Amino acid sequence: MAESAHHSSDMWVFPRSAEVTEFVTRKTFTRPGPVTLAMALTGVLLVLGIIGFVMKAAQHGFDDHTPWGYYAAMFSFVFMVTSTGPLAAAAFRITKSHWRRPLSRVSEIFGILGIFNILLFIPLAIVLPTLNNPDVGHHELALRRSIWFEGPIGSPLWWDLFGVIFVGINALALLWLSAVPDMAEAYEKATGFRRSLYGMLAGFWKGTKRQWLIHKAGMALLGAWYFMLLIFVHFIISSDYGQSMIPGWKDAIFPVVYSLSGFQSALGLILIIMFILRRFGGYQEYIGISPFWSASKLLLAFSLLWCYHMFSFGITYWYGRTELEQNVLKYLLFGSYGGVFAGNFFFSFVMPFLVLLWNPVRKSDWGPALAGASALIGAFLFNIRIFVGSFNAGNVYGEFITEVPPPVYPGLSDILIVIGGIGGAAFIYLLATRIIPIISLWEIKEGLLYQKVDTFIRGRYLVLAKPE
Amino acid sequence: MAVRPILGLFEDANYAAEAGDALKEANIPEEDYDFLTDAPYPEGAFGEREERHRLYVFPLVGALIGLTIGILMTSMTQMAYPMVQGGKPIMSLPPMAVVTYESTMLTAIVFTIIGIVFESRLPKTKQGLYDTRITEGYIGVLVNVEEDELQRVYNILTQAGAVDIVRDQ
Repeated sequence: MAESAHHSSDMWVFPRSAEVTEFVTRKTFTRPGPVTLAMALTGVLLVLGIIGFVMKAAQHGFDDHTPWGYYAAMFSFVFMVTSTGPLAAAAFRITKSHWRRPLSRVSEIFGILGIFNILLFIPLAIVLPTLNNPDVGHHELALRRSIWFEGPIGSPLWWDLFGVIFVGINALALLWLSAVPDMAEAYEKATGFRRSLYGMLAGFWKGTKRQWLIHKAGMALLGAWYFMLLIFVHFIISSDYGQSMIPGWKDAIFPVVYSLSGFQSALGLILIIMFILRRFGGYQEYIGISPFWSASKLLLAFSLLWCYHMFSFGITYWYGRTELEQNVLKYLLFGSYGGVFAGNFFFSFVMPFLVLLWNPVRKSDWGPALAGASALIGAFLFNIRIFVGSFNAGNVYGEFITEVPPPVYPGLSDILIVIGGIGGAAFIYLLATRIIPIISLWEIKEGLLYQKVDTFIRGRYLVLAKPE
Repeated sequence: MAVRPILGLFEDANYAAEAGDALKEANIPEEDYDFLTDAPYPEGAFGEREERHRLYVFPLVGALIGLTIGILMTSMTQMAYPMVQGGKPIMSLPPMAVVTYESTMLTAIVFTIIGIVFESRLPKTKQGLYDTRITEGYIGVLVNVEEDELQRVYNILTQAGAVDIVRDQ
């Protein structure tokens, strides 16, 4: 382990290469008590969510979108965080940063939730009002404003659905490709269902030079596609289910804030999971302080960017002062959802900023995780504010929002739906960690080839090799 | 005569590279041997041949197909249902761009996945010759040779420092 005057001894960790496979697969195959308890708890929440969904459907049906605001907020929160999760692995791998290695698989496993997101999206696809106004009245538009203009074939429903489906497929493909070498290694030690699954998914991978070459190129390509597709899908989902549901709201900054909230909250959740793995999961030898330190700087940057974009949105509308702009501000920022916005601002910016401002805190495992938890709460409040607001903003075919609607508080079914959706996502993630190694074996071993701590003059420093 | 595999296991990557050099000197064609590792070593680390692949062609073809579909779908829809919106021309680019971008991405992703499966030659129905010690960091040098060459290759691998040699049963 590295020791110097500047860094703690566990800043960089170097597990023994020969023991990595044995250790991590053993951990994957066991199910400790706290994990079992967490799975049981989240499983119960998922069941409660299903009950809430049935109650809501029985009570309101799918003809009117307005009762589904909390469902939309829950979907958006789960989708925003879990769809952005795999991006961390893809982006840091493309930039060839070594510190990302323990973090990669934690981030990629979110790909499994692509299937969950598709299922969650189906009711929303049904309740979304059509672009064409079925009954044009006074001061109403024949075609409501949206990013689809005159509404090319299948829009917005099918293109939104295809977007969510392909984000899921791309994330699953990334996870599969990354995990193929690890599943091939774990195959030798697995029995029963796991052995059959690994055999099928790894397809007798052997680790030839050609396979590694395609593996690397494939992950670079899928990572690049994922980034390009995800930002686009964030754009269409936030526009179709957020902006275009509030008559007259036109804001180029909003989709950017949506994606930024996704980056911030996903990185935050990854840091929380890493903290739990390091402190309570027995992975101290695999997860040093370095990934927390490096990722915390990005988290700080995302928090600052979030604040900047929110200010840009606010100042433009505040300065514009048209009736529409004033109503949007009163509705989403200072009036109806003013309290939620205050919480959103505090947790998305103030708290992460105050926590991550200090270098000693950034150089800990708890500090970035704490800021991450705050960002996650902020993102949740952001989605409540935007999507409950959007689904209850009045006539979607109106020219613009002429009065400020009151806030909508959750009923029992809404509460069950929200906790069930979040609990369901956690349940599926936990289940996936029992099948797919949470630490990328090949990536850790590759890192060990290129990193060591060596002496330079009087100090001990990390020496990195850059093969490319 | 049948081609048979033989696998030399090396604890030290340098010895595995030396085995590769020795095989080359013994006129064993480069296509007939491979290095098996548990992590991606840098290209050329073992002095091995340069691998060529066509993975990048797949997404390119996929993207072109998606782009064509997107342009055709949007332009034909707009021509079939000519609705003037906000004084914009019938064939306006912004709405076409949204759909075309998505269709391009979707087909590029599908073709990339097909390309990965095809180019990495996965899945295989049988594992073939392998040793689990490779997962512990050993380097495997897998050679496929005619049966009467097996002993010669065995000797080359042993002389290069193989800690064990595994043959097909």
